Amino acid sequence: MARVTGLGSFAVITLLVLAGLRAVHLAVPIAFPETRPGPIAIDTLDDVRRVVGFAPVIPAYHPAALGALPTRITGILSPSPMVTIVWQTPDAYLSVTTRRDRSKPPASPLARPLADGLDASWWFDGSRAHALVARDSFWIEVETSLGEQELRRFVDTLSHY
Amino acid sequence: MTPAPWLVSFASYLGQVTLHSVVMGVIFYAWAHRIRLPSGRTKRHLLALLLVLPPITAAIPGRATVEFGERLAWLNSARLLAVPLPGGLHLTHLLLAIAAVFAALTIWQEVIPSFERVDRSAAAAPASLTALARALPGWEHCLVLMSPGEAVMLVTTGVPGRPRLVISRGALRTLTGPQLDVAMRHEHAHWIGGRWWWSHALFGIRLLQSGNPVALWVFREYCLEIEIDCDAIAATGPDVAVLARVLLTVYQDTGPRDIATRQALRRRVDVLLGGGPANAALPAFTVLAASGVMLVVLPWLV
Repeated sequence: MARVTGLGSFAVITLLVLAGLRAVHLAVPIAFPETRPGPIAIDTLDDVRRVVGFAPVIPAYHPAALGALPTRITGILSPSPMVTIVWQTPDAYLSVTTRRDRSKPPASPLARPLADGLDASWWFDGSRAHALVARDSFWIEVETSLGEQELRRFVDTLSHY
Repeated sequence: MTPAPWLVSFASYLGQVTLHSVVMGVIFYAWAHRIRLPSGRTKRHLLALLLVLPPITAAIPGRATVEFGERLAWLNSARLLAVPLPGGLHLTHLLLAIAAVFAALTIWQEVIPSFERVDRSAAAAPASLTALARALPGWEHCLVLMSPGEAVMLVTTGVPGRPRLVISRGALRTLTGPQLDVAMRHEHAHWIGGRWWWSHALFGIRLLQSGNPVALWVFREYCLEIEIDCDAIAATGPDVAVLARVLLTVYQDTGPRDIATRQALRRRVDVLLGGGPANAALPAFTVLAASGVMLVVLPWLV
């Protein structure tokens, strides 16, 4: 046993330090939600700016079938800050992702221009219609189950919350 | 202006080295305090490990991704670094400022002095002194010089094979023959047993961690331990009291504002008169096992 003298206290101290570090790892995001790279569940649209650092872009046009309030708001801080806002009911689906990033997110090879003079494209993926729109220093992705016409209306009325 | 990617990666690596160094430093410091680790070989080995292991564990690949930090790591320091401070700043900015201060301190107190030539104004020493130095093994070609300063000072410079010993006029005037002899043996001890190579290699690794306060403290402690080791080699039997007298003379010659130097001298005297360093305070297996645990644990902290 003489060969391992002193290891007991070393083990106890190491475990205590590691426990302390883990407590810090878990406690910091609770005390400061913005310190977590994500995904971060955000309660309301009003909290988005505080967490991800910018106001989300959402469509002013809002059919009643989507329900009044978003069902899910998720923020990610790294590698580039983004927020996804989802409205979902049994009959309708809409998600709007606002991403502050210079690089263009991947689009479908079938994507077509949405309108002349607008840096936007759209495509169908199964029953969902997608649009990818550049607005200021943001990329906005819109996905809906409500069809092409509604997708165009959503894109036409996008504005910062 | 966007910094080059390699520069960002290197800065991130240094940040990881510092994180591992701080955690390991806290654990080793608490452990040494708990077991009342005395000066000696074990302490030197632990201090050297504290400088060497963090650059290794921080270099283990695959730890830089967000997914590793968020899903697998035991601690993700990115969370801590992102803690907001007043004025739109984050904890990162505060830690960068601290690192910059310590890097400047390292340049001022360690790098610049290492380029200063203490023997610039020195002249050849008396022949008797040169003969005394050259009688020591491996110092047959040692250049012995005398500096004009009145402070009590003996110092060696140079590289292996071409050592230089500089003795101040004040030392020659103040120290007796046996005191000069034992002080010279202390300086000679720095050049044997691979101490010169180890010290310089660790200094290089320490410079890599210039902004790391733990590395600064550890390297200074290591240097003090080397001094204590050289004291023990230079003085045995009745020479212990002679060397202690030399150290006390240097202590009295040191200004009261130079608290760090006086503290180091006091500790050397205490160890010397207390029976010398304890070279086997812990079994080698214990030190190996502790290092192994650190090698396994630290990569999980990012």
